[in-house]
Amino acid sequence: MEELLRSALSEARADYAEIRWEEVFRSRVVFQRDQLIALEATEERGGIVRALVDGAWGIAVFTNPDELPKKIAEATRLARAAAHHVRDRVALAELEPVEDRYQGPMARDIRGVPLEEKRRLAESYNQILLGYHPSIVASTVRYADSLRRAIYANTEGTYIAQEVPDVTLMLAATARKNGDVQQGFESLGFAGGFEKAVGHEERARAAAKRAVDLLSAKPVRGGQYTVLLNPELAGVFIHEAFGHICEADFLLRNKPMRKVMELGRRFGVETLHVVDDGFIPGARGNCPYDDEGVRRTRTYLIREGVLTGLMHSRATARKLGAKPTGNARAVSWEHEPIVRMRNTFIEPGSFTFEEMLDGVEYGIYACGAFGGQTEFEQFTFSAAYGYEIVNGRVGEMVRDVVLTGNVFQTLRNIEMLGRDFELHGGAGGCGKGRQWPLPVTHGAPHVRIRDVIVGGR
Amino acid sequence: MDILELARRKAEAAELYEAWTEALGVVFHGGEVEKVGSEEVLGQALRVIVKGRLGFASTAGGAPAALVEAAVGAAEHGDPAPFRFPALHPGPAVESFDPAVPLLSAEDLLTWGEEAVRTIHREFPELVVNVYLARTKTAVTIRNTSGGELREVRTGLSMTVGVERVQEGDIWLVYESQAVRRLSDLNREKLVEKLLAKLRWGAETVPAPSGKPPVLVLPSAVPVLLLPLTHGFSGLSVFLGTSPLKGKLGERAFHKEFHLWDDGLIPFGPRARSFDDEGLPVGRLSLVADGVVRGFYYDLRAAALAGAEPTGNGLKGGPFGDGGFRAPPGPSPRHLVIRPGEGSLAEMIRTMKEGLLVADVIGLGQGNIQSGAFSNNVAVGFAVRDGHVVGRVKNTMIFGNAYEVLRDGLLQVGGEAEWVGGSLLAPPLLVQGVSVVSR
Repeated sequence: MEELLRSALSEARADYAEIRWEEVFRSRVVFQRDQLIALEATEERGGIVRALVDGAWGIAVFTNPDELPKKIAEATRLARAAAHHVRDRVALAELEPVEDRYQGPMARDIRGVPLEEKRRLAESYNQILLGYHPSIVASTVRYADSLRRAIYANTEGTYIAQEVPDVTLMLAATARKNGDVQQGFESLGFAGGFEKAVGHEERARAAAKRAVDLLSAKPVRGGQYTVLLNPELAGVFIHEAFGHICEADFLLRNKPMRKVMELGRRFGVETLHVVDDGFIPGARGNCPYDDEGVRRTRTYLIREGVLTGLMHSRATARKLGAKPTGNARAVSWEHEPIVRMRNTFIEPGSFTFEEMLDGVEYGIYACGAFGGQTEFEQFTFSAAYGYEIVNGRVGEMVRDVVLTGNVFQTLRNIEMLGRDFELHGGAGGCGKGRQWPLPVTHGAPHVRIRDVIVGGR
Repeated sequence: MDILELARRKAEAAELYEAWTEALGVVFHGGEVEKVGSEEVLGQALRVIVKGRLGFASTAGGAPAALVEAAVGAAEHGDPAPFRFPALHPGPAVESFDPAVPLLSAEDLLTWGEEAVRTIHREFPELVVNVYLARTKTAVTIRNTSGGELREVRTGLSMTVGVERVQEGDIWLVYESQAVRRLSDLNREKLVEKLLAKLRWGAETVPAPSGKPPVLVLPSAVPVLLLPLTHGFSGLSVFLGTSPLKGKLGERAFHKEFHLWDDGLIPFGPRARSFDDEGLPVGRLSLVADGVVRGFYYDLRAAALAGAEPTGNGLKGGPFGDGGFRAPPGPSPRHLVIRPGEGSLAEMIRTMKEGLLVADVIGLGQGNIQSGAFSNNVAVGFAVRDGHVVGRVKNTMIFGNAYEVLRDGLLQVGGEAEWVGGSLLAPPLLVQGVSVVSR
């Protein structure tokens, strides 16, 4: 394949061209209640060509490798068609050509583990969920793994072969009482082999217990409160609400927004540091080289409360006068790379959990994330569960905790950062444009924020 | 060798689904062409039954033998298949192919995108405009060992225009989109005009009504109320007991003015097809009539488990999307249709007098959707006072339960239905019982 790529590229008639060819192994086991909903193993291959002509991109996606030369010509033709309509031309930041290989470690290669063993593992978690309590009426266990083998080559002489494993586990229980239905879940994800998926029995029990506990939790009262986010939810917050607007492709042709996101601008307290890191051993968001052949970096988005960096592709870096950061990622061979996060986190502060509760007369301790979405400055998240904070102590469990607000205001309202820290890789992934789910992680310590809107009856 | 033949040697029954997709798309970002892309992808999915057990595998670009081996391997550890693949017979044809669509060139799409950008900039020169246009042609073939072959070529055309209004401390995103199968159904001028109307409504920012005001849910926001129902009316959810509608067949669970059906027979509907992804003919299925639960939708497996008849609802992917070849079929609606009532949107705004108009939300599907709970940030919403839209609301959340709202809170069903998200045909709904929290 290497030869095929190199020789096809030598014939390219574009200003710049690149090819990514991927072979993906994937397997999946899904149980719902007592039903095996899915059990499958799949291998697929496909490629994408991207060509730049006169500052415009042309792209061709294909599954037949014999057509590679034809696809380079096609991408070039489409780029030329687009170039007639472009005024603001795309250019790429300079990059030294590199040849390298990377293989993500797996103690037990997912390809070598029989489907039967994956099924048994999922089934054992499912039994824990279903057997936990009589009020548990349904469950979902989803085990999924993949190994993405991608080779990348461009007309500048870069050639990179990478093998990136990914293993995820979703453990969810549904409890029901008098028509009320509640869910508890644990969502886990790792860069590694099958070994990462085993030994999570405690997490299954925790998910089931939470579903049962939520049946007797009271709905939270809507209002504006001091909120303590647990590390998982704080991580979702920093990813969703802040991380996405630091993706420079969003700023590329958006002058007003670029002004809002000016480097050097203060966004929060001096103890606030936010990082996007391309490599943390075992973390799902790892991206040794991005899908433009850029080596990983560790980027401070916020240092001492001040905006110090953005995440870039080669095109955005050139346009904004920055260096590429290795954030151009594609979710699969069907898509071109766009600016995405990797492992994004808030660095820990100095406060203990007790210190963070101290002085809160009435507030909410919000934990875990059901989901979250952001639209620029507006964000909304559903906590998986929560507790009241009454006179500096964690009180009764509450449910239906939904947080919303303006990200800039909320960052300014961060009062305290805990000394603990957790990096979380969930079973889902990040979505942007039409590309979902991209493996990422997010992390944080406990974070205390004043004046957060909590939705409620 | 032919995949189905190969599968037949190792399995007692097999079904092959193949989708050959050719697509062309353009993306404009910040008013400028960003890229033009094409796609030619063959996706294949194989289901087999081996010793009574079901297995599934899919591939793109993979070898036939590997696909068969993967499916058979899955079946060995699979569960008993509760159903058999039916012999495939063509049912009534539902039109889904327009020969004009594949003829659209990159130049056509680029020109349309530029026109949209120009029209918006004429009135709002400061806005950041993003446009996405794509045409697709998909040839779907389904064959199984019970006999028969179904083949259909479907076309699709979609257009999304989004604008960003960025001011200090205030960023607003508004978008409109349309997905059609036929060129003549794409109304580019109307799409842009609808977008402009929202921008005009949003010229001023005003305080949101709070408490439990009447809420006028525009078609584009009706998925807030319908998304939980796509779970609730799934025959699989009913069988598994996660649907709140379990045991409510024949009961009044909704307002008597609420009528909902799943219509597979709409020619050139955004998801129009003559057969579902298991090869069953599509049809029209009543879900709610006069507020009474009339039916649930089933794929082959859910029907067999529940002892019900399959309804031709075995589709790949979720309720509002196309899962492509990778996903096994599951129960999913074709086109959900809410029966329109009376009154234009303008009349509804006049008669509601005071309240909140919701056009778009963020956070769709977050929260406990099984129970019907929704909690969303209002991304595009407007305040109504004295029967007029007075401006846009910010930092506002809506919160409630879809089943409760559609049972106890339905005040009026509007007369003008629109396609939403490619699979829902809904009029505006005026409702009460939705909590509105705002800062």
